Amino acid sequence: MMYNFYVERDSILHRLDPRVKIIASILGIASMILFNSPTMLFLLFVSISLSLAFLGKITFREQLRVLKPLFPLMIITIAIWPFILEPASFGLFIGFGYALRLASMAMITFGLLITTSQRELILGFIKLKMPYEIGLTLTIALRYIPTLFGLAQKITDAQKSRGLELEKGSFLTRLKNTIPILIPLIISAIKTAHELSIALESRAFGANKRRTFLYTIKMKSRDYFALIVVLFLFGLALYLRYQLNIGYIKLY
Amino acid sequence: MIEVRNLWHIYEGRKIALRDVSLAFENEIVALVGPNGSGKTTLAKHLNGLLKPTKGEVIVDGLNTREHSVAELSRIVGYVFQNPENMFFEENVFKEVAFGPKNLGLSEEEIEERVKWVLKQVNLEGYEERHPYGLSGGEKQRLAIACILAMNPKYLILDEPTTGLDEKSAESVKTVIKKLYREGHGILLITHEMELVLELAERVVLLYEGQKLFDGSVGEFFALNLRDYYLDKPEILKISENLNLGFIRSVGDFLTKLEELL
Repeated sequence: MMYNFYVERDSILHRLDPRVKIIASILGIASMILFNSPTMLFLLFVSISLSLAFLGKITFREQLRVLKPLFPLMIITIAIWPFILEPASFGLFIGFGYALRLASMAMITFGLLITTSQRELILGFIKLKMPYEIGLTLTIALRYIPTLFGLAQKITDAQKSRGLELEKGSFLTRLKNTIPILIPLIISAIKTAHELSIALESRAFGANKRRTFLYTIKMKSRDYFALIVVLFLFGLALYLRYQLNIGYIKLY
Repeated sequence: MIEVRNLWHIYEGRKIALRDVSLAFENEIVALVGPNGSGKTTLAKHLNGLLKPTKGEVIVDGLNTREHSVAELSRIVGYVFQNPENMFFEENVFKEVAFGPKNLGLSEEEIEERVKWVLKQVNLEGYEERHPYGLSGGEKQRLAIACILAMNPKYLILDEPTTGLDEKSAESVKTVIKKLYREGHGILLITHEMELVLELAERVVLLYEGQKLFDGSVGEFFALNLRDYYLDKPEILKISENLNLGFIRSVGDFLTKLEELL
C-alpha cells in the first residue's frame, strides 16, 4: 500500500527548503488556473515535467505512474468539451488543454510529495505559520495509515474465520460484507485516538505556547535564490496574462 | 486430524517465518510456545487457511488448505484471535454469536438453538441482550470463543486466551477450555504463559526462529533449559522441584503432594 510518496534521492529539488517548494507548488497551481489556452498549458506541462525530471531526478516513467489513475478523468474531460463548445474541434482542443491542466496540477503536488519527506513537509507548513496542532494532527494521521491497515488486516482475518466471504456475491452483498470489518475498525480507531490524546497530554503537550524544535530548517542562499526565481516566474505569468493578454482564450 | 507436512512460509520481503515444520494433532490440548516472532501465529494461520503454504502442505481432516477457502475450513478449525474486540460489531451478544452460523447458512431455528447451546458452553447464559463492548475482559474472551464455537468446529485455535485477564476471568476461560477438551475438541493453545501450559496442556510444541525445536509431553518440556528460548518455568514448579516434590501441574497438585510429605 502506498502511504508515503517520498523517495530519497540526491537532487536539487530534494535539497531545497520545504517552504520554497510549498510556495512554488501553490504559485504553480495558481498559474495553471491563470491560463486556459491549450498551447500555453501544454508548454507549462512540458516545463513541469522537464523540471521534475532534471531538477528532481524523477524519471518520466515515475511521472507517468502518478498520472495513470487520472487518465479516466482526463479522457472524460476531453470527451465532454466538444459537446459544450462549438465547433466540436475547438471544444476538443480546449478539452485537451483542461486535461493537461489537471495533469499539471497533479504533477506539481506529486513533485512536492516525492521530493519532500513528511517531516520536512510538515515542518515547512509550521514555519509558514500553520498552527503546530494541525501539523501534528497531519503527522499522526499519516503515521497511522499503516497501523490502521494492519489492524484492518487482523479484523478481516478474524471475520473470515467466522465464515465471512468477502470475494463472493453481488456488489451490494460485498458492500454489506464490509460492515463486520468497518465497525470494529472504527471503534478501535476512536479508542486509539482517545488513548493517544491522553498520552500526549501526559507528555505536556500544549503546556507551553512556544515550542523548540529538535530538528529544524534554515533558508540558505540557494533557497533564497530559488524563491526569487519562483516569484519572478509567477510575476512573469501575471504579466503575460494581464498585460499582454497571452494564454487566455475567451470561450463564450 | 490436522497434519502439517514440511511447511515453509516465506512472507513478502523474503522473511522466512516457518522452516520445514511438521506436526500432527487430534483430540488433545497442544500448547504452541515460543518467543515473540518465532512463527506461532503464522503456523496457526495456516491451520484454517488464512495463509497458504509457500512450500509443504496442511491437511485438515483430509482437506488440503490450498484447495479450500477459509469459510469452508472454518467449519472444522475455529480460530479465536488474541484481541476479542477485533471481531465484535453487532449490537448484542445474541446477534454477535449468530453471525457465524448465519454465514454457514443455517435456518433460524437452528441458529437460535446453537446460540443458546454455545452461550451455555461458555457460561454466558442470560447475556443475549447485552452489548458485546459492555462486557468484562473475561466475558469478552468467552464471547469470542462462543462466536467461534458457534461454527461447531472440531478443532479450536486459541491465541493468548488469558493474556491481560485478572485471575478470576482467566479462571473462567480456563474452565471453558477444559470443558471443550473433555467434549472431544482438539485445542491448540498459543501462549506465553507457562502457568497456563503447565495447567492445561498435554503436549507442547516449541517454535524458535521458525523451526520446531521440541514436540513432546508437558513433563519433558519443563525439563528443558527454557531460558535458552526466552521462557521460564512457573514459580510453583520451581518451588516443587526445590522441595523435591517432583513434577506437578497446578497449585492444587502441589498442596496435595506437600501434605503427603508432611
